[in-house]
Amino acid sequence: MFRFTPYVLKSLWRHRARTVLTVSGAAVALFVFCVIGAVQGGLESLTRQSQADQTLVVFQENRFCPASSRLPEDYARTITKIPGVKDVVPIKVLTNNCRASLDVVVFNGLPPEKLRVARDLNLLSGNWTEFENRTDAALAGQAVAHRRNLKVGQKFTMGEVTVTIVGLFTSSVTAEENFLYTHLDFLQRAPGRNTVGAVTQFEVLLADNANPDATAGAIDAKFRSGPVATTTRTKGVFQRETLSDLAELVGFAHWLGYACVGLVLSLVATTTVMAVQDRIKEHGVLQTLGVRPTRVFRLVLAESLLQSLAGGFLGIGLGLLLLGWWGFSIGTEGVTITFQPSLGLAVSGAVVSAVVGVLAGLAPGYQAARTQIVAALRQA
Amino acid sequence: MPLVEIRNLTKEFSKGDEKIRPLNDVDLTIEEKDFLSLMGASGTGKSTLMNLLTGIDRPTSGQIVVNGTDITKLSRGRLADWRAANIGYIFQTHNLIPVLTAYENVELPLLLLPMSSAERRKRVEIALEAVDLSDRADHYPRQLSGGQEQRVGIARAIVANPTIVVGDEPTGNLDTRTAEQILELVERLNVELGMTLFVVTHDPKVASVAARRLHLDDGRLIEMVDGHPAFTHDAVQRSA
Repeated sequence: MFRFTPYVLKSLWRHRARTVLTVSGAAVALFVFCVIGAVQGGLESLTRQSQADQTLVVFQENRFCPASSRLPEDYARTITKIPGVKDVVPIKVLTNNCRASLDVVVFNGLPPEKLRVARDLNLLSGNWTEFENRTDAALAGQAVAHRRNLKVGQKFTMGEVTVTIVGLFTSSVTAEENFLYTHLDFLQRAPGRNTVGAVTQFEVLLADNANPDATAGAIDAKFRSGPVATTTRTKGVFQRETLSDLAELVGFAHWLGYACVGLVLSLVATTTVMAVQDRIKEHGVLQTLGVRPTRVFRLVLAESLLQSLAGGFLGIGLGLLLLGWWGFSIGTEGVTITFQPSLGLAVSGAVVSAVVGVLAGLAPGYQAARTQIVAALRQA
Repeated sequence: MPLVEIRNLTKEFSKGDEKIRPLNDVDLTIEEKDFLSLMGASGTGKSTLMNLLTGIDRPTSGQIVVNGTDITKLSRGRLADWRAANIGYIFQTHNLIPVLTAYENVELPLLLLPMSSAERRKRVEIALEAVDLSDRADHYPRQLSGGQEQRVGIARAIVANPTIVVGDEPTGNLDTRTAEQILELVERLNVELGMTLFVVTHDPKVASVAARRLHLDDGRLIEMVDGHPAFTHDAVQRSA
């Protein structure tokens, strides 16, 4: 079956400039495919996480940016009494950029004793005690720490807020790894803020048997006539709505991903057609020696497949390496999507490359297999 | 039973409105270990006859029976298998695969046959030795002279021990001295290795080496003895 492998490889090597260009083109296209897939993966995992439906987010009514949502902190006491509510976590959100950005820094201020309960964080370095005892302490997610080169013991300043990094963490929710967690009262008292007694939002942890929609309705009803009205949604809905503009862009990018696949298809097909047209006589000679037309077809298909796979593996490999290394994320209004490279993405990229390689080789392979031997041998 | 039996073979082409019939009701028999040369002016159908004999072209009508198999009835795929096992083809322009070494070029026909790699290696070495090119096994075609390329082509043609070796102007692209060497080699294939040879040529010198000399003229195949027509192999002559 693989007896003709040296012939296939050497044929590709003979026109190495053409092969390298084709493989590079396929690699670039699959790299883009991989990045788009990683963004989509990040968006999907954010809105499908287990917390998404059993946690409510209470935000100021008709406000969308964390900078403009101000809820009285004492709302927490009222919310706690509503049936179905297990716990309430007041959160102050501070971000360097409310618009879509690839390098958004988001501080989340929580009561330190609640952070361990409300979040599934795994400390890579530092310790919880120091975080709880030190008022300017911050725990940094490994993605933001990598992007900003943050280390334990280092001071980090954003605007007028300066914190001391006392720990780095990973999380089961990769988007969390773009956050810096600080004490709530520290953020409220940050210079120039004067937001003591106010929070951006509440996260409401529900009892297992609680109905999220009914509880959300009850919360909003409670504050409808209060000083600040609220809008309460499940965390999944809140994130989806906050990220809706970005989600639309990601959805559009999805089509760009398909365009990349089409690009690889036409690139590899063009190269394979050229290779076949260059070797009409050679295919005639092979068939004269006794190579079956079906085998000639398979040889051409193998060349096409190898180029596509080589480009695919290169592009996907580079994509996963870069995404894994840099920990890219995109955020808006305090919610971030982490570019999420995964094994599934690598496998789907490889499958796409293989399918494209086969499709690109079909027509040229058929053309080579149908070579009229006598006419082919007459070619100069 | 003859090794090859060609019966009532006709090949017709269309060239615009004109019908051309280079082979008209031709008969020919080839016995095992025969060495035949076929001469004729350009365009008389020498190559057409060879193409039909090797199964790379289809006749308009007639039969070509080789070792009991009527190859005109085989499908394209079966015909390729048949060629791999039965035909050794020496091209005028060598037609070596440029990306493969001399060794790999000679090995190519054996890749199509059920054979262990050890057996393949042995056969390739013997074939390269037979054409005195063992020391050039790792060379690529571009690193060989024209004569050496043709010798690799001959090694490739004989390596699978085919039923019949055909040559299409095997010395046509070579200088006189190299052509003589190749001719000597071709003759050895028949005399020493007992191979059945069918060579198409313009060169009377090449034709003279063959034991049986054929001439193709106006669709008729004429067998020559001592430079004179002995009898024809076509139906027109037979019915006359």
